Amino acid sequence: MCKESGFSLLEKLCNTFGPSGCEDPVAKVILENIDGCCDELIKNRTLGVIACIRGNGKSDKRLMLSAHMDEVGFMIKSVCDDGTLKVASMCGGDTRIMAGRRVLIGRNGESLVRGVFAVKPIHLLKSDERDSALPLDELCIDIGAADKEEAEKYVSVGDYATFESDFVRFGEDGRMIKAKAIDDRAGIAIMCDLMKELYPKKDMLPFDIYFAFTCREELGISGARGAAHLIDPTHALIFESTAVGDICGTAPHKCVAKQGDGPAISLMDRSTIYDKELTKLVLSVGKEKGIPCQIKKYVSGGNDAGHIHKSRAGVRCAVMSIPSRYIHTASNVIRAEDFSSTYRLALETVLALSEGV
Amino acid sequence: MVKYIRDLVKIISVSGHEERIRDYIAEKMTPYFDTITTDALGNLICHKKGEGKKLMLAAHMDEIGFIVTFIEDDGYVRFAPIGGISFAAAAFSEVVFENGRVGVIVPESEVKPADYKADSFVVDLGVKTKKEAERLCKIGDTFALRPSVTYLAGGKICGRPLDDKIGCAVLMAAAEKSGSFKNDVTFVFTVQEEVGIRGARCAAFAIAPDYGIAIDVTATGDAKGAKPMAVKLAGGAAIKLKDQSAICDVTLVEKMKTAARENNIPYQLEILPYGGTDAASMQLAGEGCRAGCISIPTRYIHTAVETVSERDVKAAIDLTVALCSEAL
Repeated sequence: MCKESGFSLLEKLCNTFGPSGCEDPVAKVILENIDGCCDELIKNRTLGVIACIRGNGKSDKRLMLSAHMDEVGFMIKSVCDDGTLKVASMCGGDTRIMAGRRVLIGRNGESLVRGVFAVKPIHLLKSDERDSALPLDELCIDIGAADKEEAEKYVSVGDYATFESDFVRFGEDGRMIKAKAIDDRAGIAIMCDLMKELYPKKDMLPFDIYFAFTCREELGISGARGAAHLIDPTHALIFESTAVGDICGTAPHKCVAKQGDGPAISLMDRSTIYDKELTKLVLSVGKEKGIPCQIKKYVSGGNDAGHIHKSRAGVRCAVMSIPSRYIHTASNVIRAEDFSSTYRLALETVLALSEGV
Repeated sequence: MVKYIRDLVKIISVSGHEERIRDYIAEKMTPYFDTITTDALGNLICHKKGEGKKLMLAAHMDEIGFIVTFIEDDGYVRFAPIGGISFAAAAFSEVVFENGRVGVIVPESEVKPADYKADSFVVDLGVKTKKEAERLCKIGDTFALRPSVTYLAGGKICGRPLDDKIGCAVLMAAAEKSGSFKNDVTFVFTVQEEVGIRGARCAAFAIAPDYGIAIDVTATGDAKGAKPMAVKLAGGAAIKLKDQSAICDVTLVEKMKTAARENNIPYQLEILPYGGTDAASMQLAGEGCRAGCISIPTRYIHTAVETVSERDVKAAIDLTVALCSEAL
């Protein structure tokens, strides 16, 4: 079971402001949490945070663990005369999930400004507008400013925005977690906990482990690429969230994964064909240790592995994804037990790799 | 060459699942190289030490195909395409799994050809239940349209997958034919070209060649109703000038043309308005290299009736041998 501390860290991470390109606030939380749990640390605006636990050097393997710090968000494109803000999307641009949502706006996670995505109430919609989502150009953020001049006292073009959404446990016994940015702060929380667990045991680790907390994954211009080049790993494990279609009437064959069945292990997605041996190891560790995990059933999406596996002369990669409902919206929903299962599977996989040397 | 191509097409090798074809090629290439290794992604790297420039030649071992993603209660198999599948070309065909198991790939009833997409297709294994189907295949298994090779008139080889087993056969035949290589030559049989020219990049990073040449298929302008393109079937080996993903190095192109002229090898120049080959990956790997491509003109690429001319294949082999053997 992931320690309860894992959940409080997850809560803190999810509540932290960190859209793509503005990951510093997330890096700060990570650095506070991994203090004293690594031998080397690189913090770099481009690559993110890379922490290394040195093993005993008996193996020439180099293991990279990777999760991305950034979350989906928006960038302020212009401030209108009426004091509202136009935005560029950094979340795939589905405007249905934006209308009426609370947002926070800022540059570095401090003195964030509150706003809402303006939405025309149904009373005022023309009949043809009722059936379709507004294009992004017609959406704006209302920060309560009277005019452009007043708005510019608080925000400027180039500022970032994310959804504002509380971390909530719900469902029977609080089995579900709802928050923004679970994609991929859950992966970040798992890696922080792994560092705390593994650092005291580092003399038993036959190889160095690099923990890469990467930037800009959601934009595809991933910091993982540079991180992998720098680390030059032989093997990499990537921690992610994956969309599940287990509700909303998705046909069974299009359901990527099922919540409660543990992390989804991908054989391939749109960016990577995963290493067979490493993937087999992950699945067999799950089986042997009785940790739930499942094979991802639909080929979709992509993640930092797309860059990592092609780094230098090639890297053997496997991915563990926490099945997440409503991914890329203000309300990511995961099952707490899947989060715990992913942590356990990650830890046992690292230990199995150590023994396999 | 013909023996190689007949063997190569029979070994199903969908992207990411190149182990069996790699074993076959490695065994055949052993006599001709100093070292043969496999890298992390599965590229087969055959190196022959030489005095001249470092030359990397790449042909991809993978073929387009499918991967099982889900098995329905009634035994129908759902899958995802791997690489550029045309469902119009794949519909109502036999498919073969890596283990030799056969099925047929069919659209759901009532789906019109214009609406063909992966999600509207299933594989019928001839079973009635999920349980029976699971005895025959499992999630993650790969399969492809049935391989075949046949001859059309005038020395035209027709079948699948010639993309790019014909390139592999060219390299294998060139290795066999070369007395000695003047250059420091590495033949790389690459992986995962069809899903985004992934393997060649990693191999080229490790090798850091001076020159990188891909051996791959290209389209022709003489298929019925084809868009204007200067390449003709049986017009000789095509020396690529550009495609959508690479502008070939002009110095290398000139050297390739000179080698062809001096050895009386028929060649033609190719500009492909779309597509990309391992050349694009080699060009940008590491610190970059001078990259080009010897293309084999091919009609009906990514169908079950890919068609090439023996004359062009022979020219490609001769040009490959010349480039390995003469100072670059």
